[in-house]
Amino acid sequence: MISIKSSSLRKWLKIIIPFALIPASITAGLSVPGEKLYAYVTLVITAFTVLLFIAGFEAKKTGTRRLIIAAVMIALSVAGRFIPFFKPVTALTVITAVYLGGETGFLVGSLSAVISNFYFGQGPWTPFQMFAWGMIGLIAGFLALPLKKSRILVLAYGLLAGILYSFVMDIWTVLWYNGEFNGALYLSALISAIPYTILYSFSNVIFLWFFAKPFGEKLERIKIKYEI
Amino acid sequence: MKDFSDLNPITIFIYFFAVIFVAMFCMNPVILAVSLAGAVCLFMLRNGAKQKRSHAFFFLMFIVMALINPLFYHNGVTVLFVMNDNPVTLEALLYGIAASAMIIAVLYWFRSFSQLMTSDRLLYIFGSVSPKTALIISMSLRFVPLFGTQAKRIDQAQKALGLYKEDNAVDAIRGKGRVFSVMTTWALENGIVTADSMTARGYGTGKRTFYSLYRFSRFDAVLIASSLALFALTMTAAAYGTLDFVFYPAISPPKLTPFAFIAYLSYCVLVFIPVIIEAEERLKWKYLLSKI
Amino acid sequence: MEILAVENLNFSYPLCKSKALEGMSFSVEKGDFVAVCGATGSGKSTLLRMLKRELTPKGDLSGVVKYEGKALSELDDYTSACKIGFVMQRPEQQIVTDKVWHELAFGLENMRVPNAAITRRVSEMACYFGIEEWFEKSVSELSGGQKQLLNLASVMVMQPDILLLDEPTAQLDPIAASDFIATLAKLNRELSLTIIIVEHRLEDVIPVANRLLALGDGRLLEYGDTRGTVEKLRFLPSLLEGMPAAVRLFGRLDNDSPCPLTVREGRHFIEENYGNSVRSLPAVSYAHSTNAALEFNDVFFRYSRELPDVLRGLNIKVYEGEIFCILGGNGSGKTTSLCAAAGLNRIYAGGIRVFGKKLNEYKNNSLYNGCLTLLPQDVQTVFLRNTVREELEDAKAEAYMLPYDLSPLMDKHPYDLSGGEQQLVALAKVLAAKPRLLLLDEPTKGLDAYAKRMIIDIIKKLRSSGITVIAVTHDVEFAAECADRCAMFFRGEITSLGIPSEFFAENSFYTTAANRMTRGYYDGVVTVDDAEKLCRQNGRK
Ligand SMILES: Nc1ncnc2c1ncn2[C@@H]1O[C@H](COP(=O)(O)OP(=O)(O)OP(=O)(O)O)[C@@H](O)[C@H]1O
Ligand SMILES: Nc1ncnc2c1ncn2[C@@H]1O[C@H](COP(=O)(O)OP(=O)(O)OP(=O)(O)O)[C@@H](O)[C@H]1O
Ligand SMILES: [Mg+2]
Ligand SMILES: [Mg+2]
Repeated sequence: MISIKSSSLRKWLKIIIPFALIPASITAGLSVPGEKLYAYVTLVITAFTVLLFIAGFEAKKTGTRRLIIAAVMIALSVAGRFIPFFKPVTALTVITAVYLGGETGFLVGSLSAVISNFYFGQGPWTPFQMFAWGMIGLIAGFLALPLKKSRILVLAYGLLAGILYSFVMDIWTVLWYNGEFNGALYLSALISAIPYTILYSFSNVIFLWFFAKPFGEKLERIKIKYEI
Repeated sequence: MKDFSDLNPITIFIYFFAVIFVAMFCMNPVILAVSLAGAVCLFMLRNGAKQKRSHAFFFLMFIVMALINPLFYHNGVTVLFVMNDNPVTLEALLYGIAASAMIIAVLYWFRSFSQLMTSDRLLYIFGSVSPKTALIISMSLRFVPLFGTQAKRIDQAQKALGLYKEDNAVDAIRGKGRVFSVMTTWALENGIVTADSMTARGYGTGKRTFYSLYRFSRFDAVLIASSLALFALTMTAAAYGTLDFVFYPAISPPKLTPFAFIAYLSYCVLVFIPVIIEAEERLKWKYLLSKI
Repeated sequence: MEILAVENLNFSYPLCKSKALEGMSFSVEKGDFVAVCGATGSGKSTLLRMLKRELTPKGDLSGVVKYEGKALSELDDYTSACKIGFVMQRPEQQIVTDKVWHELAFGLENMRVPNAAITRRVSEMACYFGIEEWFEKSVSELSGGQKQLLNLASVMVMQPDILLLDEPTAQLDPIAASDFIATLAKLNRELSLTIIIVEHRLEDVIPVANRLLALGDGRLLEYGDTRGTVEKLRFLPSLLEGMPAAVRLFGRLDNDSPCPLTVREGRHFIEENYGNSVRSLPAVSYAHSTNAALEFNDVFFRYSRELPDVLRGLNIKVYEGEIFCILGGNGSGKTTSLCAAAGLNRIYAGGIRVFGKKLNEYKNNSLYNGCLTLLPQDVQTVFLRNTVREELEDAKAEAYMLPYDLSPLMDKHPYDLSGGEQQLVALAKVLAAKPRLLLLDEPTKGLDAYAKRMIIDIIKKLRSSGITVIAVTHDVEFAAECADRCAMFFRGEITSLGIPSEFFAENSFYTTAANRMTRGYYDGVVTVDDAEKLCRQNGRK
């Protein structure tokens, strides 16, 4: 497996790859004449990003207890997806990231996507969901300190995450269907997704409102009691 | 006796990878038609006449998606009619049909893939490449139903203790929230016990081996080799532009060179491999049964 | 040869003032079968965890534990993981994977054993434990007994030299429990496996153990060969209660002959020393009230459409003010029927009445407010709060009203309590609901004999104030002592029913040790009390 020894390099790669490589690859796809390779390029890059994260995680020494706590959080968020109109995946990912770090957050977000798709159907969209939810967790991990302190910030983050999630997923929808990016199509996809976006963001906010604090307390207790 | 689903998971995985990869990125009407036909056949063969609802859903989706393209895209030379000052062209319509055929075919392939590639099979494949992730996934898959039953148990225990005072919605929601919260404590604490149980049996002391009940037969080897060969043939043709198909500005008929013909034929064989295996299997059984 | 040595071990949990273990020193020889006993919360589980490096809890630790002369912390990973096997108290918790075969292979995979060797060892072990039939099943489909057997087998494939078990039979029915102990005895005999087992039900364990270790408040009370230790311990009333029936009878009758340990020795002791001209105690007549508190009429239930029936035409009638005990094998449907009585499982045929009223006539949760309460089998489902104090305040339970003292536990998190303490706190919560009909699902599991006695007293007191109690239990001694009537559950039906003296006299396995000890010599003896009375009446030979 790929394992990068220098931790600072690893950290930088994690930021550079998603933020720089994806736009770059889309531009590259654009410049190949005649062929519409955006969907292809995006899929490959996204999958690669997710894989890189997972490879980094594999190479790291992680305690068994931490692994299992991640598994528990994933299972909780997947079990939650069965509740109609109420998807706690984002919220649980954010909470995990804030209390257990961005990397665990990424893991919980992206693997929740894979596992819930075992129930709801895998498809070519799986890597994108993994990427989107993973990034929500990763960024929440970077913002852990302010998010821990302020409830308003957490709620705002949840709201924003819900909206961004839908923006990212719709790019993929359009690319896949159309072969290239089309503004009008994207807009119409966004508009048709408005009810879902509102529902997502709203349920994120509700969930974080009620559970961010007690969940945080529980994770803290476990962290102290069992030295995770 | 070999059923397609009895094959080694690696074989199944490689097969689906080859088929879906071509299906997803080759906008060639022949390839798309073959892919769609094969996908539907396999799905029907495995599920019989059941799943009428998903067939209907896919059909509807096909129609809608085929019609969206001409409404948004106005390239193409053959104008059918003009709507809101925008021309609706034949080329755009055909492109729409092709794109939605591709999507629906891929969706069908993924349906069959999910049915055949159960989680334990997927873990078998990835367990040795990515052991920790595979472990997390398998633990979570085990936890999901477990948490479901536990949540129900907690709900019942609390109900019998009088947690819900009255039959009203507010009380019910508050109660559910508390159940969820208890559920989390339980899940975390029990997760720790599971982790300890793993450490106690030597987990985390280094690399592990992977034990499984799956065997790798000669038939698997043959199938993998032929899947990859057929895939390579088709992809070479695609890379040389033999399978290119132009929609805009005007439709140009597909090339029918011998190489293209070989490529179509190899994809066709690839797509129908599982159908052939399953069908042969049934015939064999029928024949055997009539003898027994 | 000494395999394990504990030297001056002290341990306290973080933020706890008192020590959980204090000045503990002892050693175990290779091939020993050590039984560990002690009151609830005396530190048995804590001690056992100290002996397995991977499970040692966080806290203040001093002293050393040595395995074959080497401190645990200096052992290499392989020895520590493989050679010291641990079976946990609750069967579900120990299981890691989702398939039986994978669970068996899990430890070997971690030890980097090649596949061919795993196949050989796993299949051998599966044969030895009779797991072949369910080898490819999902673990979630197994019964409690099967799960515990799987736990044992999956530790045994690692070929340990020493096996540590924490109340492995707490949730098993009496037959499964004695089978389990018999398997352990066989392993000890045939593989000279060293075994250390923590148990409250000593009846089955004492006859096979060659050493006994008693703990009290985190200190070592006694340790030595079984017979000698029992002789010393029987003068401690709190521990005498937990001893096998033969020992208890002997202790009460005060003799100078050697103390009997097993049922056979107990029988021999009675026949040698006491006559049997009076064969039975005067029959007690039992009259119940005429009003039914709970009534099942031809009740059928299944968990989902595809699954088989769990309750198949169940008929029960429990009268007001009686104590009714239900016994039966693992998975026979006892818990299911209690949940049905509490209106938690929706039955599909038949009828259930509580105090003469149909269940669906109790509107607006009125069933659960002062009418009926259920203590669930899994007591962890009862806790909602972060401390015991909040739990009790929540339930409006007044601590001073309780017959047992929970004050040292008040500020602990419910999940930090020992198994037995959790049981007691949950019971306190349930009692605070002040129901007229109390349903208890295995109220005595994981409790020491002293706490069990208190629970019996509580239940009897409740009865005298007119409360009906229905208890499901695997503990025949408990049923024999406190029940007015007992019922036997088999495949979703009641197959036999009666007052304890008749009920247990008819069974040959589902019966108390006192009954087995006196069978054919006296009639209708169920408890040690009965046996004592008869012996006294007959007088010494
Ligand atoms: N994680 C913990 N944190 C703090 N205190 C604990 C913890 N676990 C146990 N204790 C306390 O340590 C004492 C000994 O507990 P332990 O579990 O060893 O008892 P036990 O003898 O096994 O009891 P039981 O028979 O009920 O299982 C108890 O008083 C308990 O409350
Ligand atoms: N939630 C459930 N879903 C499906 N089947 C269940 C469920 N709970 C129990 N069963 C099955 O119903 C049967 C009876 O289970 P029940 O828990 O009532 O047994 P029990 O007599 O209480 O056993 P034990 O003594 O082990 O507690 C078992 O075969 C069990 O597998
Ligand atoms: Mg204990
Ligand atoms: Mg039960």
